[in-house]
Amino acid sequence: MSNNSILVVGGGFAGITAALEAAEIGHEVYIVETNPYLGGRVAQLNQYFPKLCPPSCGLEIQFQRIKNNPRVKFFTMCEVASVTGGPGAFDVKIKQRPRYVNTNCTMCGECAKAATTSVKSEFEFGLVDRKVAYSTHLFAFPQRYVVDGAACAPGELETLKDACPYGAIDPADTEKTFDLSVGSIVWATGWKPYDMANLENLGGGKLANVVSNMQLERLAAPNGPTGGKILRPSDGKEPKRIAFVQCAGSRDENHLNYCSYICCMASLKHVTYIREKHPDARIVIYYIDLRTPGRYDNFMQKVAADDKLTLVKGKVAKIVECECKSPIVTVEDAVTGIKGEERFDMVVLATGMQPSCAGAKLPVELPMDDDGFIIGGAEKGVFAAGCAKLPLDVMKTAQTGTGAALKAIQNVVGR
Amino acid sequence: MSNTVRVQPDLKFVQELQQVGGEALKKCYQCATCGVVCPLSPADGPYPRKEMVWAQWGLKDKLVNDIDIWLCHNCGTCSDMCPRGAKPGDLLAALRNMAYRSLAKPAIIGTWMSSSKYFPILMLIPAIIYGFIWSIMAGKLGTAFPLFVAEGHELKVAAEGAIIYGGLFPGDYTIDPIFGAVFAFMVFAFAGGIASMLKGFEGMPRTFIVGRGAEPSFLSCLIDTLKVEVAQHSRFQNCGQEEKDVQRFTGHLFVFYAFIALMIVTSVVAVGHWFGAWFLQHVMGIEGGIAALIAWAGHTPMPLWSPVKILANLGAIALVYGLMKLTGRRSALDAAKSSSNWYDWYLLTVIWGIAVTGIGSEIFRLMGQKVLAYPTYYLHLVFVFMMLAYLPWSKLGHVVYRTVALAYARKIGRLPMGELK
Repeated sequence: MSNNSILVVGGGFAGITAALEAAEIGHEVYIVETNPYLGGRVAQLNQYFPKLCPPSCGLEIQFQRIKNNPRVKFFTMCEVASVTGGPGAFDVKIKQRPRYVNTNCTMCGECAKAATTSVKSEFEFGLVDRKVAYSTHLFAFPQRYVVDGAACAPGELETLKDACPYGAIDPADTEKTFDLSVGSIVWATGWKPYDMANLENLGGGKLANVVSNMQLERLAAPNGPTGGKILRPSDGKEPKRIAFVQCAGSRDENHLNYCSYICCMASLKHVTYIREKHPDARIVIYYIDLRTPGRYDNFMQKVAADDKLTLVKGKVAKIVECECKSPIVTVEDAVTGIKGEERFDMVVLATGMQPSCAGAKLPVELPMDDDGFIIGGAEKGVFAAGCAKLPLDVMKTAQTGTGAALKAIQNVVGR
Repeated sequence: MSNTVRVQPDLKFVQELQQVGGEALKKCYQCATCGVVCPLSPADGPYPRKEMVWAQWGLKDKLVNDIDIWLCHNCGTCSDMCPRGAKPGDLLAALRNMAYRSLAKPAIIGTWMSSSKYFPILMLIPAIIYGFIWSIMAGKLGTAFPLFVAEGHELKVAAEGAIIYGGLFPGDYTIDPIFGAVFAFMVFAFAGGIASMLKGFEGMPRTFIVGRGAEPSFLSCLIDTLKVEVAQHSRFQNCGQEEKDVQRFTGHLFVFYAFIALMIVTSVVAVGHWFGAWFLQHVMGIEGGIAALIAWAGHTPMPLWSPVKILANLGAIALVYGLMKLTGRRSALDAAKSSSNWYDWYLLTVIWGIAVTGIGSEIFRLMGQKVLAYPTYYLHLVFVFMMLAYLPWSKLGHVVYRTVALAYARKIGRLPMGELK
């Protein structure tokens, strides 16, 4: 008798979609997620395609569906330690990192006030620091604080415990291991932004006012570090001239040797963010080819009508900064054949998506391409979904989630 | 009306280019990274992106008259940074190779120099010439490995004598006339090559540079080029400070100044012999004083303490050191980024040949190993011939072509971005 339940690795948009589709048909589903929250990269966006909704819009419904469906169980701060067995009867060992915060938490924030140690916020891509007791974002699901035990100063955990009026902090929390028996696995581990520190010629990670496109999402997000104001990280001033560098490390055999599909659209979307907040800002997008697949072309036409937006064919290959920390880009306009330097207040690097599992050793052996995307695994009862499979927008991610759910169901039902 | 240009691609030319080292050119997607990362590329019409698209489109006319192929010093940064592995640096090298092949006449030497399969022909020509001299002299002297003693101005074969290369290969009637003729032939070939190169440059559209005064004369530009780009290797320094750049800068500088030193030595020998010994002493009958000094300075074999000999030996050491740097760098090139072609290896082989046989000749002579010494010297003559006679068609042709192009670029103000005053 085969096991009917399904494990979904990754609680982002693809994983949640796959889990809900399978659960709503009647399968027992487990979601394991490495972050302390569900929602993945979408949760970090300001708005997402196709309708430029804030993430709360789509995710809120999904979280409701999860809460209301007893067949979905989710575990945050987890990794898959090992997978044994085979299709129809997997035994999966899950390792869960301690959260130190139990369900008594009301998100009152007293622990964060009491905490003294700070580290760079992962959720905000290092734009600000967070305390060791923190909530990643307002809309975090589950609505519970997290304590970063490893970063705590000696004795700090006790201080936090004492500060909590609800007895929600448990300093004795430790790493747990548990087993799940499932019939199918959906692998939806998603993507990470390509590390811009690798883009040395573009000053990635070095120049203060050169940010990544995901950092710009956080700068524009109302729940972000600036409360939704797009400001220069170096001095908090309003940028008047902003440049976008497309294909920053994409379609490049020295970095990511493929097109991430959505970065051109993301930059055009960012133009709308900037335009809304800074109506007079001048914007230049430097591109190799503006890739606006399918219906997205209409959006491009609309944004390109902006007379303070210039589109220049030519890849930026050098960025330095002046004394006032303004980035100076060097680019050759491939249409006019003129090379020049241009100074901006802020530069956004449109970095691509790298599969999270790139370079990692997976607990179950799956065929991967050279870039780390999963290109098979169905015969092993493991079905990839979302950006673990290929770079996608949110809409297509959801579609692959549904597709993977169907295959996962077929894998357990047919036995 | 739109000014539509109908592109007439020369597909055969594209294939030719791919064969001589531009095989990756079709991978280029015109992102324009190369022209930005190039430290020598000018602001207006920077290279090598435009060359990549011209090559893809088969625009032969534009490429063969393009001055920029000579302004490039092949540091390889464009190829390293190229996101597609299209190797723009290799394309420019391939274009230079095409120029070596076609600029100077007769074209047959260009063809012979273009592929390793003709190498035996190129080597056989001097091998036969000097082999002929050797066999005639051997017959005349009664041995192929003679030892000599000097009696006045005459050399006599003697069992207890010394190795004197000039005895077996007499300068007056064999070495000097042949090399003189080779040199004249080379200069003549270069003159034609330069003329056709400059004609090509003149025909290309030129940018009007705002704020630039009257165009300087070609001669003053040439002098500046020799002082800055040539003597100081300034462009190589602009190329960057990475290890491979430094290796190339040092290597090239050493080889360059080694050649200068060896050229001075050769000139001293020629002047001492023809002007001092022959003209002043023999023709004019002047004895002693300055005439004797000039004749002595050029008299071979020289004693090891002669300043001229010291300069020659230092030159030889510098040459080997420079060659080691250059060969080391070239062998360590990442084949995925830059590759070396036959033109590169031909030149390195011939110069290594000259250096090794030159030093070998001296050592074997001093050791008195006549059976080793004469064949080594014979090979030395062969390699020197191979360098000089085919120079305009070899990569070494850049000595002349690049210098002229750099001077011309100075004249028209085609300088690296930021350098134009």
